[in-house]
Order: sequence, then structure tokens, then C-alpha cells
Amino acid sequence: MKKILSLGLVRGLIWQVLGTALGIGFVCLVRLLMHLPVWKAEPAVVFGALTGAIFFLIGLGVFRDWYRMAMGQAVEEMPDESGLGWIRYFGVSLDHKVIGIQYMVLALVLMSVGGIFALIFRTELVETGMQFLTMIEYNTLMSLHGMVMIISILVGIAAIMNYTIPLLIGASDMAFPRLNAFSFWIAVPAGLILLSSMALGGFDTGWTGYPPLSVRAPLGMQMFFLGVALAGFTSILGSVNILATIIRLRAKGMTPFRMPIFIWASIATSMISLTATQLIGLSFEMVMFQRLFGMGFFDPVKGGNPILFQHLFWFYSHPAVYVFVLPGLGIISELLPVFARKPLFGYKWVAMSSLGIALVGFLVWGHHMFASGMAEYLRVPFMYSTLLVAVPTGVKFFSWVATVWKGKITFPVPMLFIVAAVVVFLLGGLTGPPNATVATDLHLTDTYFIVGHFHDTLFGGFMFPFFAAVYFWYPKMTGRKLDDKLGKLHFWLVTPAFFVLSTLMMRIGLLGIRRRIADYDPALNFQSDHLVMTITGFLIALGVGVFIINLIRSAKHGELATGNIWNSRSPEWQVPSPMPMHNYEKPFEVVGEPYDYGLPGSVYVKFEGE
Amino acid sequence: MKHFLIVAVLVIISTFLVYFGLAHAGLFPAQASTQAVYIDQLFQIHIKLISFLFSLIVVILFYSLIVFRKKKGETGDGAYITGNTNLEIIWTVIPIMIVIYLAYVGAYTLGEVRQIDQSALQVKVTAGQWYWQFAYPDYSISTNELYLPLNRQVDLQMTSKDVIHSFWVPEFRVKQDIVPGQTTELRITPTIAGDYKVRCAELCGASHAYMEGLVRVVNQVDFDAWVKTQQSTAVQDPVLRGQQLVNQYGCTTCHSQDGSQKIGPTWLHLADSKVPLAGGKSVTADKAYLVSSILEPNLDVVKGFPSSVMPSFKDTLDQTQVEAIVAFIQSLK
Amino acid sequence: MSDQPHPNALRLGLLVLGSLAVLTAIEFALALTFNRWEILAILAIIKAGLVLYYYMHIQVLFQPDESRDRHSYEYKLVTNRIGLWLFMISDFFIFGGLLISRINLLGLTRPDLNQVLGLVITSILLISSFFANRGETFMKNGDIRQFKWSFIATITLGLLFILGVVGIEWRIAPFGPADGVQGAVFYTMTAFHAFHVLTGVVFLAFVLRKGVRGMYTPQQHWGVEAAAVYWHFVDVVWVFFYPALYLIGSLH
Repeated sequence: MKKILSLGLVRGLIWQVLGTALGIGFVCLVRLLMHLPVWKAEPAVVFGALTGAIFFLIGLGVFRDWYRMAMGQAVEEMPDESGLGWIRYFGVSLDHKVIGIQYMVLALVLMSVGGIFALIFRTELVETGMQFLTMIEYNTLMSLHGMVMIISILVGIAAIMNYTIPLLIGASDMAFPRLNAFSFWIAVPAGLILLSSMALGGFDTGWTGYPPLSVRAPLGMQMFFLGVALAGFTSILGSVNILATIIRLRAKGMTPFRMPIFIWASIATSMISLTATQLIGLSFEMVMFQRLFGMGFFDPVKGGNPILFQHLFWFYSHPAVYVFVLPGLGIISELLPVFARKPLFGYKWVAMSSLGIALVGFLVWGHHMFASGMAEYLRVPFMYSTLLVAVPTGVKFFSWVATVWKGKITFPVPMLFIVAAVVVFLLGGLTGPPNATVATDLHLTDTYFIVGHFHDTLFGGFMFPFFAAVYFWYPKMTGRKLDDKLGKLHFWLVTPAFFVLSTLMMRIGLLGIRRRIADYDPALNFQSDHLVMTITGFLIALGVGVFIINLIRSAKHGELATGNIWNSRSPEWQVPSPMPMHNYEKPFEVVGEPYDYGLPGSVYVKFEGE
Repeated sequence: MKHFLIVAVLVIISTFLVYFGLAHAGLFPAQASTQAVYIDQLFQIHIKLISFLFSLIVVILFYSLIVFRKKKGETGDGAYITGNTNLEIIWTVIPIMIVIYLAYVGAYTLGEVRQIDQSALQVKVTAGQWYWQFAYPDYSISTNELYLPLNRQVDLQMTSKDVIHSFWVPEFRVKQDIVPGQTTELRITPTIAGDYKVRCAELCGASHAYMEGLVRVVNQVDFDAWVKTQQSTAVQDPVLRGQQLVNQYGCTTCHSQDGSQKIGPTWLHLADSKVPLAGGKSVTADKAYLVSSILEPNLDVVKGFPSSVMPSFKDTLDQTQVEAIVAFIQSLK
Repeated sequence: MSDQPHPNALRLGLLVLGSLAVLTAIEFALALTFNRWEILAILAIIKAGLVLYYYMHIQVLFQPDESRDRHSYEYKLVTNRIGLWLFMISDFFIFGGLLISRINLLGLTRPDLNQVLGLVITSILLISSFFANRGETFMKNGDIRQFKWSFIATITLGLLFILGVVGIEWRIAPFGPADGVQGAVFYTMTAFHAFHVLTGVVFLAFVLRKGVRGMYTPQQHWGVEAAAVYWHFVDVVWVFFYPALYLIGSLH
């Protein structure tokens, strides 16, 4: 019992329950003192959920060191966590490698939850008419599928970035280890609050939460807004850490253009998530205030403007999609040279293309609003800027192809996923221009075509690279390889199924099927398409299931892999696996280019004493 | 070099195959408006571009993966090529030119789609949860079926009663959101007579999936005849009036008249029957109860049915309309 | 331990306050007579620039870092500074979003507020920044006593600001939060800002306590710098919020 309570996570959860109750009680007390009816569900539950989240963090202990610093007490800078074993993963660890793995596990948990939601509503969609879900249950599951997956992506990229960045630049940890732990742990109560929406009436707005519909949605809507606002801090504080780390903690000799390409991708990603994320928090908070205090931001009767919400929301949510894919595209650039045994073609151009995508990405948000009723004169400029993103993206594609051309290519499991990522992201990218030109978008917007487009870009830009990254760095984390056969099974279950899924989505969208519908007209004859899409969904789920089994089994039974199994030039592979506690016992100096495969005698890093 | 030659040929073949496949896959609904013609032309340009770019990348990628794979027993690395500035410039500048071209064509197409015909037929569209209402100010008629004359532009002036909806008929291609507190505009010139469905294209709550209305495109003669019929059918009989209203305002989306199970209670045999309420009590569904259910639907919800789904019609229907609806429900006793 | 800081450093702080006061007076006068949003915006930008340069020392961020030892205090100080500024850049976007919303919803109208109160609380906040800067200057030179009184002044003025906004302006405003877009915009903007003032006060209080107990030295006082810089950030936000809420535009 004592052992269970010593786990930070358990303590946090207990305190969260306590904090929620206290918060609810506090609101009731205030209402009593103000001579209002004591019980009103919405303010009580919203405030309760917020205090619950804060209490979670207190109970977890993530504030402890900061409190001590504020009081002027002594704090051990880098506590020795070596004796703690697996317990480290259930509480506050300051080691970026532990935090990276915590993020990875949370990402997989959220991915599974979000995926299960999809399987449920996809099963409902096989036949017309409502079989076992009510309309609001369908809408809630569909909306949560979207947001839970989005958060799993944010958490997944945090996993990759937190685990690898210090290793790639030669640092012993991130610049702010405690902030790093906080950034991870706040995602846990945030996710719980988000999921609690299901128990509080659900909501029917999709992940975009547009008012006026979200103002009149059930109480679950507030849990959605609050959960996302809190989860935003993971992104924001994570980016502070990533940028400060990259600026300050690079190894000697690692000039900007000698950094691994993934570092450039991380910089571009963090520039976006540092700044734009605040806008989704703000727009959601404004709707929360409209609900709680009657504020008329988006209420036309009070002089408000529903379209203002869309501007604020998409000002974040468009750049956000580049946050989702830039790390994955960076992974593709990072791993292709290793498996093609050839330099990354046009490294500088690829590095700049990540920044280019990030910058242009801030200027395109209106393309989500072409049919919204926003000022007409805005449509053409947004079309131009949106099409422009194709240019830096094209630079990446051409570079990838040029990297493998004349290479000496092998196909271990990570490479399979990288190739799939390139092709799938290409499909996603090529279906962008029809969405960008306004006239065609008027047909496509709010249909399954868009759903197909973003599933392609998200699987190609995040999901497949995420799988590749895990297969690639798992030996570094554990000293063992993931099983190859299971890896190939995972690949062949997911990839063809996904192609079919996204292609069908785009087909039925073009032919007139709207998105976000719980039911569809049998006279349109799309039952067989829906059946096939549901089957592919289950195949994808099966593949991910195989992946998770592989992750668990191989930790103890995987083939030992303590050396540089990929023959990579990258510094982390020059030391044995699993990675030592403080990364590099002897620091290294950068003496060459990162991707000079094929140049005899060239070396990237030299360790002290060599 | 022979690699380049082979690849070039493969890319060309692939482009044609992909284009042929896409162009003949029947990916588009019928082209039933002048706007659709322009939009489909732009789609064709996109499809050509997609076919070429897809082939360019995928062919060269897979060619490399096959031809340049490491063969058994081979050692060593690939060719040491770090980059080529000229190539980078080419594949930055050419895409910029394509982007500018596409944007230009896109703007041109949008201009064509947004052509204004001063003599367009005026229709006021009101969307609400979960119904469509169409008013023709020139003819003083109001219906829930959108009749449109062939080959004449209709100017839809649209507003919402509650949340954001969206007007879309796939065969016409163009779509426009409908926003409360504002009037948004959509212009369509239908070119093929027939029956279509307008389905709400912006998630608007529980029954969004079912929010549809009939759009019927007829020739001018039939249209004029229909207008005359609408004008003369000032329905006096309250029961018939009620029947008209429950279709117009989407009540039938959730309430059946034949006993079948839908989101809300069926009206068959409902009037003056004993209904169990959610709290445990039960009540007789007399006129007062039916009226209150329309004006304040969440006060006494029938047991087994969800609350907070039916919107209130207090601000939408006047007293005579409510009484007509109740009369209609009572006629299903 | 009571080294006097170079008189120029203290005088400079006073000079900046004086300039801010003059600019504020010009803002107010223009709002009453020649109310052009472009000019008021430029004045706000100038005021913000003064605070960013002279109080927040933004230029220090771009100075090359001399220290080589990664584990030294000096090296970590620069890293901490970058972290704080990154956080403030992020926070700035919330306030930017609120400003955009105000512009979109209110346009060239402004809410009906008490102008005297507006001038008073703005002055209070500007003076509080003066004292925060003064406190940091004294700490740099080891004068703990003067540091203490300066930070006490800052905290007091900060609390007075919150009293002025939440305690007084919120009560006497002729409209409530639910009264149209005017209410929504005003109460939300001031609430977000006041929340940051409150966190700033808490931050300053913790730092004051440590300073009084001798836990900072002229060479190592990151907490003091951070609290002061954060405080100035909150002040810069108000430099934009004040004209946006009180000055620009006309009443309905």
C-alpha cells in the first residue's frame, strides 16, 4: 500500500479528486455568501476541475523544488535517480530520457483511447440509421476522437523531441529539467478532464468548438475547453525548454549548420507552439466566459461576432498542424541518410524549409474559413499564402528523393515507415492545392475530402515517422531491438489499410458526403464504402496493437543491441545502449558534417580523450 | 545517364496512367450549375498537376529504392553527393511559378463563380435547428422546399435562427455558411432540371445529419405554376396548416407520426394519452401539455427520451401556429 | 554592503519615469482633442520601447555570452534569462489576441469608463515599475535596505492597482460583464491583466522575502531581476491596454 502511495501519479490522482471536491465546495460557498442558489452545476464543476488539476500537480510533487527555491532552501540540482528503478516513470523525474518515455507512453495511451472512439463510431457508420449510439453520443465520440488524437500528437512529438534533443546536441539534459517534468505532468489531469466530458453530457460541436453551438452545448463542452486549455501548457512550456536548450547547450563546434537536421525541425516547431498555442486557450476561454458570465463575445444579439472565434481559433490551429508534422518531417530527413548511406541532399535548404513552413504557416489560417462568411476580400490573399506553403514543402520532398538516389539502401523496419510516411504525406500535400483554391474549396470544405486530406497529412507527417522514430531509438532507450517480424506485421497491417481508408474518404467527400455526420442517406449508396472504411480502421487498430505488444515484450525479450546497430554518425550512437544516466560521460566536439556518409575518413564528432 | 532516361519515361507513363485513372474514376457528382462548370475545370487542372507531381516523386523514389538498394554482400556507402545549388534553385523557382499560376486561375475561377446577375431571383433562406425555410419576397410565399427555375441565377440571402449552418447542394458545388446575426449570400445558376437535396454542411447539433431539404429545379413554366399554387394555398384548415408547419420546421426529424422510434416521442396516439415523465410522475398529454412541450420542451420530458435536445420554439412560432401544430398532433389520436 | 549605485543609474530610472509621465499626459490630451488611433498607438509603442530598453534591458539578450563554463552561475543566468523572455513572448500573444478581439468587436468605440480613475491607476502602475527598477538597481549594488523599500513600494502600488481596477472600476462601471461586447471585452481584458498583476505581486513578495534574509548578492540575484522584468512586462501590457480601453475612439 505504502509503495503504491509513494508513486507520484497515484498521489496526484488522489489529490485531484480532493481538489475537485474542494473546488466545487468553494463555489457553492461563494454562491451561498452571495445569496445565490447554492448549487449551479456549471461554475461549480468548471472551477472544481481546475482546482482538481492544480491539486493533482501539488500532490504529485512537481512544485516541491520550486517552492523550496522560492523559500530559499537548498535544492539538489541534479538528484541521483539511479537507484529508483521503474518507480521513476510514475512520478516526477528530472531526466529527459525518462520524461521522453513518459510522454511516449502517454501518447500511446491517448492514441489508443482516441482510436477506440473511432472504432466505436465507425462501427455505427457501417449501416444507415442509428444502431447503438444516440446522436449526441456519436457527436461526442467523434469530437473527442479528434481532440484526443491531437493531444496524443502533441504529446508524441514532445516524446521524440525530449528524448532525442539533448542526445543530438551533446547535452546532459534539457535546460530546465523541472519545467520539463511539469510540462509532461500537466497533460495528465488535462487529459482526464477532457475525457470526463463524456460523463457530463458530452458535446456536439466537433473538436473545433464553434460558438454559438458550443455556447448552448451540454456541460461536457466546458470540460473539453478546460482540458484543452490546460494541455496547451504542455506545448508552451515545452517549447520554452526546447528553444533554450538548443540555444544554450550545444556541444563545442556545433555551429548552426552542423546541427542534426531534426534540431532545425524542433526549432521551427517550437517557434510555433510557443506563440500560437495561446490563441486556442484564449478563444476557448472566451467561450467559457460567455457560458459562465454571459459575456457576449460571439453572441450576435449582444453585438458579438461568431466569426471572430474562428479567426482566433484558426490563427493557432492552422500553425498547429505544422507543429504536428514538422518534427515528423524532420525525422524523415534525419533517418533517410542513415538508411541510404548518403548525405542529406541540400541540408541547408532543408533546414531553412522548416523555418519557411513555420513562418508562412502563420499567414494562412483563413483557408479554413473560405465558406464561413468572413470578409470576401480576405479569400484571395489567403489562397495565395496557402499555395505558397507548397514551395518549402516541395524542397523537402525533392531533397528526400535526391538523398536516396544513388544511395545504398537497406530496409529495416524504421525505413519501411519512413518510405510510407513520404508517400502518404505526399498524398496529403497534393490534396492541399484543391483545398487552397477558393472555388474548389467551396465544394470540398466540410466534406470527407477534408477528412481524408488531414488523415493523410497527419499519418504521413506524424504517425508513420513516430513509429519509425520509436523503432529507431528503442535500442537506445532499452539496449534491445524491437522484434523485426512483429514490426513488419505492424507495417503491413497499418499501411495498405490506411491507403484504402484515406482514398475512400476523399472519394466519398468529392461525391457529396459531408463530414461529422452520425448517419447518412441510404439512397446515396455509400454503405459499402463505409463498411470498407470501418474494416480498414480495425486493421489499423490491430497493427497498433501489435506495435504495443512489441514494445512491452521486447523490453525483456528483445534481441540485445548495445552498439551502433544502425551504423549512424550521430553522437548518441557512439556510446553504448542503453544511454548512460547523464548521457555523455566525456563531452564531444563537433569536427565534421553530420551526414557525410560516403566520404572516406570523415568524422562528425570526436569525444574527449580520443 | 541511363537512370535519368528510364526515370523520365516512367514518370511520363505514370502521369498519364494516374491522370487517366483519376479522370475516369467518376469522382464528381453531376455538374448541375454554371458555377459547377468553372469549378470542375479548375479541378481538372488540379488533377493534372497532382498526377504529374505524384508520379514525379513516387516513381523516382521507388526507382531509387529498387535500383539503388544494397545488394547482398555489398559493403560501403552510397555516392557522396551533398547537394546541388542549381537544382535547389530550379525546384524552388518552378514551384513558385506554378503557385502563382494556380493562384491566378483560382482567383479567376472565383470571380466567375461569384458573378452577379442583377435580375437574379431573390430567395431568403432561414436555417435553424434542424430545418430549412425558404421565402420568396417577390411572390410573398414561404415554403420548406426550394423550387428553382432552370438557367436563372438565384440569389440566396441566408441567415440562421440559432447556430451556424451551411447551405450545400453537391451538384451545384458552391457552399456557404449561414451565420446568426448576419446575412450571407450565395448565388447559383442551376442548369439541369431535377430533384436535389440541400444538406446542412456545418455541424449544428444533435440532428445535423438529418437536416436536409428538397431542392427542385424546374423549367420556367412549371416554376410559375408552382408559385401560383403556393400563393393560393393559404391553408385555412388548422390541421392541414399544422401538418405543413411540422414539415417546415423540422419537427418530423425527431417525431414520427406512425409509431416508429425516433429521437423524440412519436405523435401517434399521443394526444390525451397518459405519458410517464422523467421524474417519475405521469401526466395527460392534453392541449396544455402539448403547447408547453413546444414552448418549453425541457420542463416535462417524457421518460426515456433525452432532455436538452429539442429547442424551444417560443421565439419562432406564434400562437396560431402553435395551436395549428397541436391540432395536427391531436388529429393523430 | 551599502555601496551607492552610480547616481546616473538611479537618475536614469527617474528620467524614464518622467518621460513615461509626459507621454501619458500627451496621450490623454490627444484623446480628448485629436483622437486618432494611429497617433495613440505610436505613443504606446514609444512608451513600451522605453520600458523594454531602460527597465527590462532587452538589449542584454543580444550581447555575446562570455562565459565558457556550462556549469557556472553566469552561464545559467543567461539561459534563465532566455527562458524568461521566451515565456513572456508567449504570454504576449494572449494579450495580443485580446487586443485583436477588442478591435474587432468595438472598432472605434470605447467603453464608458471613469477617465480620472484610468489616469490614476495607469500612473500607479508606471510608478510601480520605476520602483521595481530602482529596487533591482540597488540590489545590483548591494544596498539591501533600499532594495527592500523599493520592492515594498512596488508591491503596494501593485495591490493599489488591483484595488483600483477590480475593487473600484469594476464596481462603478455603468455596465456589467454580460452587457454587450463592451462588457465582455472590458472585463476580460482587465481580468487577464489583473491576474498577471497578482502573480507579479506574489513573485515580488517571495523575492522580497529572500532579499531581506540576505539570500541575494550583487553578483547573484537572478530572482530579483526576473521578478522586476516580469513586473515591467505586465506594465508594458497595460501601456497598450490603457489607450485600447480608455482612450481610443468615442463613446457609443
